[in-house]
Amino acid sequence: MNRYECLQFLAPLITDHLIVTSQSGQRIEWGSLSKHDGNLLLGEMGAALNVGAGLAMALPHRKVVVLESDGSVLLALSSLATVANLGISNLAVFVFDNGTYSGTRISEATATRGKTDLEQVAKGAGIERSVTVRELKSFKEQAVPAIEGKTLSFIVCKVQESLIHRDIPRPDVDLPENKYRFVRYLQQTEGKLPSFIGRG
Amino acid sequence: MGEAGIDFMSYLPESRLSQILPLMRNDPRFMLAPAASEADAVSLAVGATLGGKQTACYMESTGIYVSSYQLVVVALHLRVPILLLVGHLGGFDDQRNSFLYSLPGRRLIPQLKALDIEHSVLHNGENLETNIKTAVRTMNALREPVALVFTGDFTV
Repeated sequence: MNRYECLQFLAPLITDHLIVTSQSGQRIEWGSLSKHDGNLLLGEMGAALNVGAGLAMALPHRKVVVLESDGSVLLALSSLATVANLGISNLAVFVFDNGTYSGTRISEATATRGKTDLEQVAKGAGIERSVTVRELKSFKEQAVPAIEGKTLSFIVCKVQESLIHRDIPRPDVDLPENKYRFVRYLQQTEGKLPSFIGRG
Repeated sequence: MGEAGIDFMSYLPESRLSQILPLMRNDPRFMLAPAASEADAVSLAVGATLGGKQTACYMESTGIYVSSYQLVVVALHLRVPILLLVGHLGGFDDQRNSFLYSLPGRRLIPQLKALDIEHSVLHNGENLETNIKTAVRTMNALREPVALVFTGDFTV
């Protein structure tokens, strides 16, 4: 199973969901597959899960989907305990775990290629619906209820290391522009702007 | 804080300002988000701000070090306003200062300056409401985090 085919399956399922990605190849792949205005393509590791959780708290009637990587989750393990205890039910987290820091270009291993099991770490942190999938069929079976359901879900997707993202043009929207597109989309769909969008 | 429009606060509690937590917990105007790390608290607040909340993030001075990465790569990079409420544990005017706190406390203001985060140091409750409203107005104008650092009478 590779990440791109998982994202290809997810893209048509997205309607009015809010999507937050961490920095990794998935940011590029998702940015290419989905032109949804509710995409927030973060440019760093270790933040997407909490940013998604904050969005989910602020907008409890919207479904938030976070696309994470193993390296990113490992960088912010405390976020699992934080999110588990916030009482959020409108958040689905997909962790594309290739056991590798692919950005290093030397395939340096992450801890998940060693002894660390993110499904068990998440369960230990208190996220009850934490599962691991290793094949596309299992991914599809878990992804649909995670996207459509009303339970905090943490899906660890064991994927092969893939270099597909290196052949895809990178998103040309910088972070502030992405932010404004995102909040304007929320303005259209929620009828309300954040208070920092004031008079010029 | 409620009058200033704050309606969401993420936090890791500390010892100097902790009395605000039961007050806010009992006030329906506020949504509270306890975090396991100040880094989590900052990125939670970023998400909540983008979702329409006007946010604060409460921590002790060492929390600024813990959350510096999130402040830079998320809040400052995306330009998201957050009111940082920082108990100046270990600061010059900390009434309970000790050798345990003084070193990280001494470096708090230089750290905020290095992060280029606008901040104001409050020694007592005089004009507190005005100071909070000013900080909220400033953070929204800058579209960046702004810090209120509490010391002196707040640390007794």
